[in-house]
Formats: sequence, C-alpha cells, structure tokens
Amino acid sequence: MTMQCAVISNRPLTEGFFHLSLAPEEPMGAITPGQFVMIRCCDFTDPLLRRPMSVADFEPDGSRFGLIVQTAGRGTGMLSHLVEGDRLDVIGPFGQGYNVPQEAKSVMIVAGGTGVAPFMTLAPTLAAGGKNVHVLLGARTKGHLLMEERFLHAGAQVHVATEDGSKGFDGLVTELMGKQLDHMDEPPDLALACGPAGMMRAVATLAEHSNIPCQVSLENSMACGFGACLGCVAHVRGEERYVTVCRKGPVFDSREVEI
Amino acid sequence: MDISVDFSGIKLKNPVVGASGTFGYGLTYEKFFDLSLIGGFCTKGLSLQSRAGNPIPRICETPSGMLNAIGLQNVGLDKFTSKKMPKLRKIDTAVIANFFGETVEEYTELAAKLDAIDGVHGLEMNISCPNVEKGGAAFGTDIKTTEAVVKACRSVVKNKPLIVKLSPNVTDISEFARVCEASGADGLSVINTLVGMVIDITKRKPVLANGAGGLSGPAIRPVAVRMVWQCYKAVKIPIFGIGGIASARDVVEFIMAGATAVQVGTMNFVSPGIIPQLAEELPELLRRLGADSVTELVGAAHRD
Repeated sequence: MTMQCAVISNRPLTEGFFHLSLAPEEPMGAITPGQFVMIRCCDFTDPLLRRPMSVADFEPDGSRFGLIVQTAGRGTGMLSHLVEGDRLDVIGPFGQGYNVPQEAKSVMIVAGGTGVAPFMTLAPTLAAGGKNVHVLLGARTKGHLLMEERFLHAGAQVHVATEDGSKGFDGLVTELMGKQLDHMDEPPDLALACGPAGMMRAVATLAEHSNIPCQVSLENSMACGFGACLGCVAHVRGEERYVTVCRKGPVFDSREVEI
Repeated sequence: MDISVDFSGIKLKNPVVGASGTFGYGLTYEKFFDLSLIGGFCTKGLSLQSRAGNPIPRICETPSGMLNAIGLQNVGLDKFTSKKMPKLRKIDTAVIANFFGETVEEYTELAAKLDAIDGVHGLEMNISCPNVEKGGAAFGTDIKTTEAVVKACRSVVKNKPLIVKLSPNVTDISEFARVCEASGADGLSVINTLVGMVIDITKRKPVLANGAGGLSGPAIRPVAVRMVWQCYKAVKIPIFGIGGIASARDVVEFIMAGATAVQVGTMNFVSPGIIPQLAEELPELLRRLGADSVTELVGAAHRD
C-alpha cells in the first residue's frame, strides 16, 4: 500500500508529456487497468497533496509500472525532472478499474490526452483475447497524440482526431466517435472513456443514445485517494447522494454518476 | 520512555491523535497500520441523521495547505453505532466521537446518546465547522450561543469527558475558551480550520462550489500555536493542539505552547502512516530536549 519506488526511466513522449517507469521495493500485486496510485511530488509541504495518476503499462505482478504525466503545474513539473535511480513515494493501487464483461465482443475506447494511460495494457489484452477493439484518440494537434503506435501494434483499429486537423479527423474525438457509430454495421458492445470531463460527458451521451453501456474514469480533485477526505465525491444521478470517486470509482458506469 | 497522557480522564497511550474529518471512523486507516499504535482518533463529525454533504468541488490545494468544504457528510448516529462501533470496540485505542447539530436540542440529544455508547471514550463538540449554514460555526463564533450549547450538553453528559472544538474565526479565542470552561467543558480542541477562499481566475469564480472553505495544513500552524498559547493562559482544562502538524518537532511545539496532546489532520491524507510514525519518533526527540515525559513539557514555553 505504501511504496518507495525506484525510477527506472523518465522518457519524454511529446511536448509536455512524459512516461515514468517505476519499480516498487516490493511488487504491488495485481492491478486492474483504471486503478490509480497517489504520487508524492516532493518531501516538503508545498505542493502538499499527492497527485492521483492512473496506472498505465504494468507487469502482471506489479513489479514495474508506468505513468503518463502531463506537466501541468509545480507538482508534475517536479516529477518531470526525475531521473533513473531517483526515489518516489507512492501509495496504492486504489479504486475500481474498468470491467469488461466476457460477452462484450467489440469495445470502443475513447481517450484524450493522458487518458490513454489505462488503455496501454487494457487495449492489447482485449485485442489478444479476440475482441474487436476500436481506439479513438483525440488531441489538440498531431504532436500531442499519444500511444498511437502501441495501439496499432496491439491489433486495435486506431482512429485519430485532432482539433487543428493536422492528422486524421479534423475536429473533436467525440465528433469522430459520432461518425464512427453512424458508419458501423453493428454498434460496439461497450464504450470505455478516459480524458477531460467534457470529453467523457460527450462520449457518455453518444453511447447512451445508442444504448451502448459506457464506463468513464472520473478525475475529481482528491486529497487522499483512500476514502478519508470525502473531497473527491461524485454526485449520484437522480439522487441526493454522493459516492467517493477514489473508492467506488474512479471508473463508473456513465449512467450512475454525473460527470 | 512512557509518553502516555491523561486527557481529562481519557487515557492516551501516546499524545498523537487523529483529527476529526481526516480520519473517517478510524477503520479507513487499518490498511496502513494497526490502529492500536495510535493514541486515539476523533470520528468524522456525527449528526442525528446521515448527511450528503456539499456540492463539488469540495477541496482545493493551497500553499502548504488545502481548503475544504465537505459539509459534514457523515453516516449518521445510528449507522455509526450499529456498523462502526462493534469493530472499534475491538481496537485498543481511544475513540472520541465528534458531533454537531443544527439546534441546541439536536446537540443535546446527540450528546446524551453518545454518552451512553459503550466504547466511546470521549465526546468532541464541533461548534466550529465553517462549511455549513446552520449549526457549526454559527454556534462557535458567538459567545452567548457557545455558552448555551456547552451548558446544555454538559447537563446531559454524565459519563464521558466533554471536549469543545473551537473556531479560530473569532477576534479573541481565549474568551471562548473561558466560557467553555465555565460552562463545564472538560477539555478544548484548538483549532478548527480557518475560513479561506481561492478564485479560479479563468472562470472568475471561487474554486469551491461552497465559495469559501476551511484552510488546514502546515500553512496554519503558527496561527494554531498562537491560539493554543492563548487558551493555555486562559483556562486550566487540557487542550488538544491542532493545526498542520507534520513532524515530531511540531508535536513538541504545540505541547510547549500548552497542549496536553495533539491531533494530526491534513497530513494523514499525504502520509497515512504519519500518526504512528510521530508517536515512534517522539521519545527520541524528548530525550534530546532533556525531557523525561510529555507532561513535563506541557506549557513549557510559558515558564520563565
């Protein structure tokens, strides 16, 4: 649960994004894609809180795992300077990941920005299991697209959308999703989304209109990650009640909660 | 070294306690350490009925601290009694039930019920939550209502120590400390969060849905130390020092200001094992400072 990790590598991906590979002192055990860890960015008290990050690629026993980080502020800025051999204080893994039922034969994955992280292991696993996997990747511009090659190698059908039209579909990834759904003979059995809240809201709406079950990964502000602060809660749809994103989520059926 | 303390009859095996609102009902932390290693903890604030809490966003990071406006989300007294207490009774640590109401009647009803629960070691009245419209700080920032609600609870609490958690959002906290003591309080918790605000300049709106929130964490420590100092001068009843404790050094600082024991809050979120860690580090620090016990350092900074 509490781990000192050694940094194995810190690899730049595209502008402002990097991949950290970490080895915990003891393997952290089985991980479900969509689960997250809480990263302490420094030993002092500013920035104070840990940063929640989705586990990206990982070894089955958790002896090594990766994170995709976008430099957004001071905390992630500190992480961007880590080099091989540095130590990182990590707790986790926490939460409920994606749950792909056996009977789902075709799965549509929609990812924006660092939202590709939970699918780095999940998409190849699903494809290897004989499922028909579509991965829709969205970014502002061509240079910001992440993990396209990896998904292609995994045997997924990859569709790209850029907001400036520099590659693939010219527009939002959710517009691309709408077009894909229109063109498909059979709608997918399941949609999985991870990315900015606006993107996930649009994915959920499209999926619900087509009666496709949809799972989203919420990233509400979080202080602890393990159910103590009650800061990260999501509003349960149609009820005067909240659920903790860190424990009941971060992955929810889109019909359960307000995104 | 024996670092146990007696807080108005509550036996704490060490003076480091989990602060209300950061420690759930204790059990959340069992995956990190054995709860019997800590002095005790204060539960999430309990109300007669369960409460859903405030809209989101509820939290926001600040320099060396955070703002929260959780809104006293809690399971309610009945569920606490039936679901949490059976597990807590099996653990050898002090359970202090934090509670609040929206009226004096609700406070007294809760106080009487909690006073009767086997396995609850003490009661901590929350008259200082800044994030709810009714109750909370509405009581704790007015001297007359503070007096009324503490007296009312005192009259029904017969078995357990009654501790009052004070608001720092007042002009003179020692005045409130004195009124609580005179109204029969057995101890004080000093302090609850300071009211603060962060504005999202791109949205031109406060970050928190509630607007304002309670500031906690190391950022508020000097304010808290000063207020413990003032309360120690004003009253004889023991004080829990609370506010941004992050190291054994900070524990000793509060004790020297006049705290009999301390509560650790926000830092539990960052280092969930911090309370047993501080309890373990404390004896060595006391030794280096030439002290043989916690008790002899209480209020040490006041002496010539």
